[in-house]
Amino acid sequence: MAQATTSERFITWLKTMTFYELLVGMKATMSHLIHYKPITLQYPHEKRTLPDNYRGMLALLRYDDETEKCVGCDLCEAACPSRVIRVVSAEVPGEPTKRYSKEYYMDMTRCLFCGMCVEACPVDALAMTREFEWAVFDKRDLQLNKQQLLAIGDRSFPVREKRLELQHQNVAFFNVAFTHMPQKPK
Amino acid sequence: MTELSLRLAVSLAQIAAVMGIVMLTVMILTLAERKVLGWMQDRMGPMEVGPYGILQPIADGLKLFFKEDIVPAGANKFMFSLAPILAMVPALIGFAVIPFGPSETIELFGMTIKPFVISDINIGVLYILAFASIGAYGIILGGWASNSKYSLLGGLRSAAQIISYELNVGLAIVGVLIMAGSLSLVKITDAQAGGFWHWYVFAFPAPQIFAFVVYVISAVAETNRVPFDLPEAESELVAGFFTEYSGMRFAFFFIAEYANMVLVSCVAAALFLGGWNAPYPGTILAHIGLEPFAWIEGVAWFTVKVYGFLFLFFWLRATLPRLRYDQLMKFGWKVMLPIALANIVVTAIAMYIYNQFK
Repeated sequence: MAQATTSERFITWLKTMTFYELLVGMKATMSHLIHYKPITLQYPHEKRTLPDNYRGMLALLRYDDETEKCVGCDLCEAACPSRVIRVVSAEVPGEPTKRYSKEYYMDMTRCLFCGMCVEACPVDALAMTREFEWAVFDKRDLQLNKQQLLAIGDRSFPVREKRLELQHQNVAFFNVAFTHMPQKPK
Repeated sequence: MTELSLRLAVSLAQIAAVMGIVMLTVMILTLAERKVLGWMQDRMGPMEVGPYGILQPIADGLKLFFKEDIVPAGANKFMFSLAPILAMVPALIGFAVIPFGPSETIELFGMTIKPFVISDINIGVLYILAFASIGAYGIILGGWASNSKYSLLGGLRSAAQIISYELNVGLAIVGVLIMAGSLSLVKITDAQAGGFWHWYVFAFPAPQIFAFVVYVISAVAETNRVPFDLPEAESELVAGFFTEYSGMRFAFFFIAEYANMVLVSCVAAALFLGGWNAPYPGTILAHIGLEPFAWIEGVAWFTVKVYGFLFLFFWLRATLPRLRYDQLMKFGWKVMLPIALANIVVTAIAMYIYNQFK
């Protein structure tokens, strides 16, 4: 360390004796008091606007004709790192090419909101909503079934997509009932 | 007999009034501290109970009153119960000698009553110092009786800290005592009448400005406030000496801390800043012909000075981090003590010369 000159040492001594550093700090706090601009949000009374990609409560979605998107492929269950999801897949009665999730359970007490199930879903049947106020008195209220998840999706995403085969006529082949395909003009 | 009972009644009325005001101040302080601290840190402080949270002290009081009173296993029950009382009573008892307003007397039923001081004893300063020391026992016993490591460490720290800094408080006051030639707070305050240049911080021939700084710093340390809050260092010792306390016993410690703050502020105002004396000669109300109401101005000035000190306490708390233990001791013994001693020597010599040539 370089040798401090006498005048520098005198200034340091003077600063120590007059509590200069303390006064600088106290000036800072006082300026915050005078220019009072709280960053607090009075949470239950006012809420912040959440970003679009906010990862909140999970939900199951429907197409615009009220049918479920979920095809029961179990990919979300495989992707989930905390084993939140349990899917019981089944054939649609009378349509052997089509599958759906007969039962769909989510144990939200374990969910860590990573969003990997949403990314894994091939038909975008899963989505993350902006709901986060899910504090409950009974832990069992967080064991959600398919109806509850669909209800969350219904209230969070009122605008629904068209069916896949109507969106992408030349691409959609997965889990599509071909009898309902609109016929191509000859 | 009637005179005795009348005197008793008057004294009790004064005590009740002072206690009421002190308790009200403590209530205001608990809210004001959180609010000021919040504002300085860009927060809001309590906002939920009442408009802008002004009823928060009542909610806190009710909560503490209804909380379960827990005595930890292995605690010394007698000492454990005694400690909060021993902490609170000395903090409140010191107000007996504080002059809150002008020292005029009123005649009532043939008795001479001093309305703004409960008891003008001639060793007022000594009395306050003595009782402030007893307050330390409450903290030490509370720490010891709790049967907890954290409490014991907090109590021991408090013992060392209060011994170190009480010395400085006492020595800082000596300069004022030399100048005033009295230990009575009423006489000391009266001697500072007639403008701020007569206050002992600035008074000729020996301005007590260094003693004042020493006193303020030591008073912060003595009341266990930030940056000297080692006895209750919440980041190291959970809550220090009152870790194991709950409910009303905790409330007693809490009241004791804030009452001590008010007390040291009152003493600082009375000794160094002229007490109830306005910073200009006389009072405005007397000048404009409202002589009977001049006391209002005196009380108002006293209140302003005391609240100024209390604000300083909050301000320090919002700004400064806690001192390390060795820094605390070094500061107390190697910086504050020599300054206080030198101040006594200088004041004594200055007063001697001043009195020779007066």
